[in-house]
Parts: sequence; C-alpha cells; structure tokens
Amino acid sequence: MTQALLSQFLIGFSVAAILAISAIGLAVIFGVAGVINMAHGQFIMVGAYTAAVVGQMGGNTFWAIPASFIVVALLGLVVERAVIQWIYNRPLETLLATWGVGIILEVVMKLIFGPQLYYVGSPRVLGGGIRLIGRLPYPYYRLFLIGMAILMLAATFIVLYRTNFGLKVRAVRRNRVISGCLGIDTARIDMLIFMFGSGLAGVAGAVLAPIKSVSTTMGFTYAVNSYMVLVLGGVGNLLGVPTGAGLIGQAETLLAFKYNSVIGELLVFIFIVIAIRVFPRGIFGYYERV
Amino acid sequence: MGTGVKRRTFLKGATVGAGLTLTTGPYHFVRSIAKAAEGDTIKVGVLHSLSGTIAIIEASLHNAELLAIEEINAKGGVMGKKLVPVIEDTQSQVQVFAEKAKKLLLDDKVAAVLGCYTSASRQSVLPIFEQYNGVLLYPTLYEAQECSKNCFYTGAVPNQQLDDFIPWIIKTLGRKKFYMVGSNYIYPKETNREVKALLEKHGGQNVGEEYAPLGHTEFSTIINNISGSGAEVVFSDLVGDSVVAFYKQFKQFGITADDIPICTPITTEQETAAMGPENALGHFTSFNYFQTVDTPENKSFVERYKAKYGKDQVTNAVMEAAYFSTYFLAQAIAKAKSTDPDALIYEGLPGQEFAAPGGPVKIDEKNHHTWLWPRIGKARPDGQFDIVWKADERTRPDPWTKYLYPHKSCDFTDKRVVERLKKSWSQEKDRSGTIDI
Repeated sequence: MTQALLSQFLIGFSVAAILAISAIGLAVIFGVAGVINMAHGQFIMVGAYTAAVVGQMGGNTFWAIPASFIVVALLGLVVERAVIQWIYNRPLETLLATWGVGIILEVVMKLIFGPQLYYVGSPRVLGGGIRLIGRLPYPYYRLFLIGMAILMLAATFIVLYRTNFGLKVRAVRRNRVISGCLGIDTARIDMLIFMFGSGLAGVAGAVLAPIKSVSTTMGFTYAVNSYMVLVLGGVGNLLGVPTGAGLIGQAETLLAFKYNSVIGELLVFIFIVIAIRVFPRGIFGYYERV
Repeated sequence: MGTGVKRRTFLKGATVGAGLTLTTGPYHFVRSIAKAAEGDTIKVGVLHSLSGTIAIIEASLHNAELLAIEEINAKGGVMGKKLVPVIEDTQSQVQVFAEKAKKLLLDDKVAAVLGCYTSASRQSVLPIFEQYNGVLLYPTLYEAQECSKNCFYTGAVPNQQLDDFIPWIIKTLGRKKFYMVGSNYIYPKETNREVKALLEKHGGQNVGEEYAPLGHTEFSTIINNISGSGAEVVFSDLVGDSVVAFYKQFKQFGITADDIPICTPITTEQETAAMGPENALGHFTSFNYFQTVDTPENKSFVERYKAKYGKDQVTNAVMEAAYFSTYFLAQAIAKAKSTDPDALIYEGLPGQEFAAPGGPVKIDEKNHHTWLWPRIGKARPDGQFDIVWKADERTRPDPWTKYLYPHKSCDFTDKRVVERLKKSWSQEKDRSGTIDI
C-alpha cells in the first residue's frame, strides 16, 4: 500500500508537469499582456497538429518542438495584429474576441484535416521506462515531460528576468503609461509577448500529443485545466504556475487513487473554489503597489 | 385537411393545436407518409451529423448508406422506382436530430429514415417517430433494454458482443481476474453490469471497476490501480478521445498485451489507426464485423467503398450495419409493395434477410433487432484485426438479456403488445414491444 501510494505520488509529478506545460503559455499572456486568451486550448491543438504533420514528414517530437513553437507563435502574431491590438485593456471584449478566434481555429482545422483523430507517436528513445518503486516502470516519456516543464519555466524565467527585453516587459506590466513615457514601445512589447506565449502553447501541444489524443476538439480540456492552474497559482509571479500545477496534479492523482477519477476531479474543483475564497488572486497573486 | 395540417403545425404547442392533433392527426399522417412512393421515386431520409464532434463516425455511416442507395438504384431501384436520399446534417446536436427528424417525416414525407448514431440522438427522435408513425433504421451497437415499434435496430446488443466474449476470455485466454474501465455514462455502466453477471456465471472474478469522466485523457492513476489489483485482463468500455489516450499510456507504462490484454466491445479500426497500431497490438475487440472479414461480399464491399470514398478509408461494424440497413429497407418496400409505415413495420421488415459483408443477417421476426455473427479480433501490426474466433452460427439479438432481465422480453407478435399498439398514440404513449414473461 505505501509502495503503491509512493509510486502514485511520483506519477503525480508527471501529471503536474503536464498541467504546467499546458498552463505556462497562458500565464505569460495573461500575466503580462493582461489578455485572457480563450483560444489558448486551440493554440495547443494547432501545436499538436503541427506535431502530427511533422510526424508524417518523418520527424519526431524533437523536431516538432521548434516547428510547433514557430507555427503557433506566427499564429499568435496574426491574431494579435488582426484582433487583439485593437482591444487591449478591454477585458470583456478580448475574452469574447479570443473565444471567437478559438471557434474559428477549430473549424478551420477541421476543414483542413477532417474530423478524425490524428496519430502522433513518441520518439523511440523515450519508449521504455525506468523501474523506481512499485510494480510499474516509470515511463521515460513522463520523465521527459517533467524535464520539459522545468525547461519551459526556466526559459520563461530567463526571458523575463535576465534579458533586456524581459526588463521592458516587467516595466510595462508594472506601469504601462510611465513605461511609454520613458520610450518603451509598449505595443511592440505586447505583440512580442503574445507571440512568445502562443509559441509556448504550441510546444505544449507538440509534447503532449504523443500521450494524449489529437483531435480538433482537444483544446477545451487543456484550456480549463490551464485556467484552474492560474486561478490557484496566481499570475503575479512565475512560481504561480508550478505551484498551482503541483497542487492540482498531486491532489488529482492522489484523490483518484484513494477514491476514483470522477470523485477526484470533483474534489479538486471544490478545493479550488475554497482556495479562491482564501487567496482571491491566487497563491502568488499580483498586488498593485500604491 | 390540407389547411388543417398547416394550422396544426402553426399552433404547435397550443392547446387548440393539441386538440386538433388528436382528432385528425394519425389518419392524415399515415396517408401523407404513404405518398413517399408517388411518382418515379421513393424518398429515404438520411439523418446523420456531418459537422460537430461526432461527425468523425457519422459521416462514414452517411457514406455507407449513400453507397448502398447508389448500388440499389444501379440495379434498377425498388419496384422500378429510384431511391432518392433526403440528406440532413444534424450537427452533432441532440435537439437538431429531433427537428430534422420531424422535417423528414412531415415536410419531405420520406418512406423511412436511416440515421442516428448515439443513444442520446436515437432517444431524442424516437418520440417523433412514434407520434407520426415513421420508420427508423438505427445502425449502432447500443446498450439495448429498448424496443420501439417504429425503430429497427441493426447494430449489436450486449448479448451478441459479450455472451461469447467473456467465456472465451476466461476459457481460451485463461484469464479470470477482470478489471473494468469505462467512460462515465450509461452505455459502459450497463455493459459492465452484463459483464459482471457473465463473470459470475462463468467463474470469472471482478477485481476492480472504475469510470473516467467523458473526454478524460490522464490514465496514470487507473493504470497504477490496474497493476496493483492483480488483474489478468482489462475490460474497457472507454469511448472517444479516452480510448486513444488509455492504450497509449498503457503501453508507455510498460504493460504489453501478453501481460494484461485489453478486451473491449468498442475499439474499432478507426481508433487503432488514431492511437498508432503499435499501441493496440495484441489487444482484443469483440464485434460482429471487421474490415478483414474473409467473405467475397466483404471484399467487394471494401473495394467499392474505397473506390467511392478514397483508398485510405477503413470500414467498421457500424458502417456495415448502416450499409445493410439500406438493403433491408429496399427489400422491405419491395416485399410490402408499399411505403406505408405499418406495412413496412408489420410485413416488410420483420424476417428480412440479406447477405451482408459480415455474413447473412436477418431482422428478428419478433423483436426488431438483428441476428448477427459475433467475432473476436486481435489487433495486428497494421492496425487491422486478425479474427481469432467466430461464432458457428449467427446469434439471436436479445434486447433484454436473460442474465439481467430474466422476466422481460420484447415481442411484437405477442397479443398484449398487438392490443397495446392498436390504440392510437394519443391514448397509449407506450409504443414498445416489451412484455413481462
């Protein structure tokens, strides 16, 4: 029993990693540009389809990661230039507009690829597993996902906190008007950060496709999970994503182990509602300094 | 009379309208539906979702039905008349099924409707078919426990997929400890009840039962539970996206079909292609039809389907049922020499035989379901199935399985049922053939 529980706990990290991978693109866009991107799930879906196309051309996940980043970042650029740039600072409008973008993406992808499920395999080197504890081996691919989550968080951290660009991004987030007065092109910063966040969503699609199913309607679940991570973790600090993902991932796996998946999901939702009551802006919420 | 109908439709829902329905409705509609065969053509409704989430599978049913109609017309049609499909897209929305069904029966006055896929869609249209006395041919395997006067069920019911499958797993595979995994809705739950009854009868053991929310794609916990339970075989009735994610993750956790095979009444060639054949390899599916069925009828069916819709298309059991349903209907119209719904229901369709791709099939004379050939397939490296077992003779459909419902049956020739159905719809809303025995 303890052994099974321990192996379940280890599996929980991979579930948390999956949540973090899918949430990080959303966190960047929401945290910096202030846009609630309702099309986030569909961006992940486009990333997964890019991986499927790369797979059909003979490439594996390692090729799909940069390809999906570029494709979805460009998609983000188009969406930002065509729609979002006109409605910044109008949360309700961006919400509706990006929701519409999501629906359009789903329909367009269905027209291009048809309604059937698509196949994306995992790279052969990540095929096996390592025996840690309990009866089951720990799949290499899940270790790879944990690595990817750390890598994506680290990359975002470096971009936001160790580059000149990141400094400007943080300045714009802190005070848009003053930053503009000091000569920062705030519109350009918004555009670039939207592209970066979209690209991260694309990478999420590429690395999750080999263990999940790929269909035009897959985005919704990822979007819901990502919002839960952000609501719990908060967007004031990059630590919000791993914290939210870790708590939800572990809670979901351990509760599903103790009871079952349906009750696990239910209890996690209740738990989040209570958490919002205690931390209205998430655990790492962003509070204006006055 | 004509203006009566218009007013009636117009006042739909109002009490005055409802009153008119009772007095003038049934006679008028029987007569107007019989008009489906006037002229040189016979109208047939084709009611499937061509857009939305379940268009994946429904479009293939639609295609199979149109292929059959084309073939029937090429051979001269029915009684010298061509079949004309009236196609409606139901957009994967239950309420649209109901609206379009009504349109097909009242506006287009079709002879019969081929259509629906999910149980929810069937249940949404059945009251309409019962009220206006239409004929529906429904091709999907389903959880049974239903038999409507106005519906003919040409897909498999649980006894045809499970009654041979479960003992086969226990005896031939030698695996007694079952772990059941399903999606959280009616079909898996009802199917698993039947499985548990069969396990008890044949000396199997139920070591675990778990349901995942619809669309769930994270199965690490369930797989961990399976491995800890000492299960020798997994019985899965997961559907949709979950199927693909479950098989993939099962293999990633290092469990092969030799360790613990997954046995299922759902996973078709479509899903094995989507998950990648290496993830399905060696697992078992119970169905009445596989693309690899070795009959001349099937070879020619697969060839004709691919010639019309593309080389990379695969065929599956529900499509096969959609295909032979269309032939059942054509033969029934020819036999009854009429498109009158009661003539089709009482004379044309019951007992109808056809040499289907999967073998000769027959509509049961009593219960409106279809005699089929149970088969067990083992997934092979190219994503197709090797048929490892086949029934010696076709199996009778039993909508109320004898293990769970020993005191119920469905029989449209039973006196009590005949009496009940003589009453008009407004007097007696139960149009089912279910009786207590």
